[in-house]
Amino acid sequence: MRKQFALMIMVSLFAMAGRVTAQDNLSPQRKQAIDSLALEKVRDLSKYISIIGDKTTPWSDAQRVIERATELFMENTEIGVSSLGKQDVNYYKVREYFDRLMQLNYDKVTIDWYKIQYVSDLVRQPDGTYVGVITVYQRFQGFSKEKGLVYEDTTKKDITVYVKRKETQIGGRLINFWDVMLGDIRVKETSK
Amino acid sequence: MSEITSKIKSIRWQHLFLILLMAVVVVGTDSCTPKGKLSKKDRKAAIESAKRQLEPIINGTSTLSLEEQQRIVKGIIAKNYNDPVLNTMIEDAQQRLKAAFAEQEKVRAQKIDEARAALYDMLLNKDNKSADELAKDLMAIKAQNLKDSQIDDLIKQVEKKIHDMRSSGGGTANRPLKGQLEDAFFSIASDAKSGNLAQADKTIQKTLSLFQGDDVPVLIIISREGKDVDFDKPTTIKRYLNFLRDTKASKNKIDDIQTDASGKIKELDLIK
Repeated sequence: MRKQFALMIMVSLFAMAGRVTAQDNLSPQRKQAIDSLALEKVRDLSKYISIIGDKTTPWSDAQRVIERATELFMENTEIGVSSLGKQDVNYYKVREYFDRLMQLNYDKVTIDWYKIQYVSDLVRQPDGTYVGVITVYQRFQGFSKEKGLVYEDTTKKDITVYVKRKETQIGGRLINFWDVMLGDIRVKETSK
Repeated sequence: MSEITSKIKSIRWQHLFLILLMAVVVVGTDSCTPKGKLSKKDRKAAIESAKRQLEPIINGTSTLSLEEQQRIVKGIIAKNYNDPVLNTMIEDAQQRLKAAFAEQEKVRAQKIDEARAALYDMLLNKDNKSADELAKDLMAIKAQNLKDSQIDDLIKQVEKKIHDMRSSGGGTANRPLKGQLEDAFFSIASDAKSGNLAQADKTIQKTLSLFQGDDVPVLIIISREGKDVDFDKPTTIKRYLNFLRDTKASKNKIDDIQTDASGKIKELDLIK
């Protein structure tokens, strides 16, 4: 009886292991789709940041975009802020960072992200989450009405991305989706 | 007087008698035949004619309608030629017609089934066709003249739907839903890119009216390999339209649209 029970347990474990393996063995095309999805989220963030920083954006629009941008991040995530005159990098919670960005003391702000690419590919962790690092270059320009361009810098930033497979029911359908969450944004270097 | 007498005497009475006799024989032969009966020769010719008429019916090569063919067979039967070969041919023709009528009925039943299914689809408008497209499809069904009460009833319902579509939605209601959405997505993105945010917002409001509500789910397929379908995190239509406005780009294509009975979109699937 004990032998039979042990055998059943082993068979069940093998079946479960097989199922997990089958789910995790993503084809190159599916893995590529997930890689692209994570990159796309960072590009979306760059557009949100540009809108939030833009002084011509109406307050209500900025608030709505801040909500969308905040949803891209994991909880308790921090974003680093640097400037040419200071050695230290200040880190702010995501929501606080966006609020400060919206209130920057310039008459006009332009923020462009470019060279958005992986520096560390998405790699599957033991818990099934895929983790990778995407680097971006941010060009910041601050203008005043009187003096025109008064400050500009270029900052290289690393963003940790987490991609996890989740399930949900929509209209009676079981939907398998990939949830991309952004982690801390670390400042790597700042230059003129 | 003597001249007349001499002329009468000069007539060849034997010749005149012979001519009269021949006339009597010819007229008498014709008039002695009973009414409705044919001479042997004419009967033979009529039978041959009937056989020639039956042959294409038996072979199935007749170009006449089945009703017309049946009328011909009945006409031949009514003549009652009582010819053994012709009688066999009549039986063959009757069997052929019986089978043809059965086949015709089968085809008609099939057409009715197909028309019924097509009409139900038109009522639900699963393919998101415009009023004009529906009207065109409906005309094709009506042209079949299926003479079925249920089909007639469904046709009336579709006609009402087309009328409602035309009267309620103005010009755009005549366009397929997929086309309307594609145009709207493109307009929102391009208006936002050109800085015309007011126009983008107008298009967003107009587009939302095509949906059951602002929170209708929008699913975005990022990869599809056989049964393995990977989605982006589900969103809602309002959020998606604002996303197009914010990112100033519309990259996803429409994969599937699900509507409710009133034609409002209740779920939208996009694909990267």
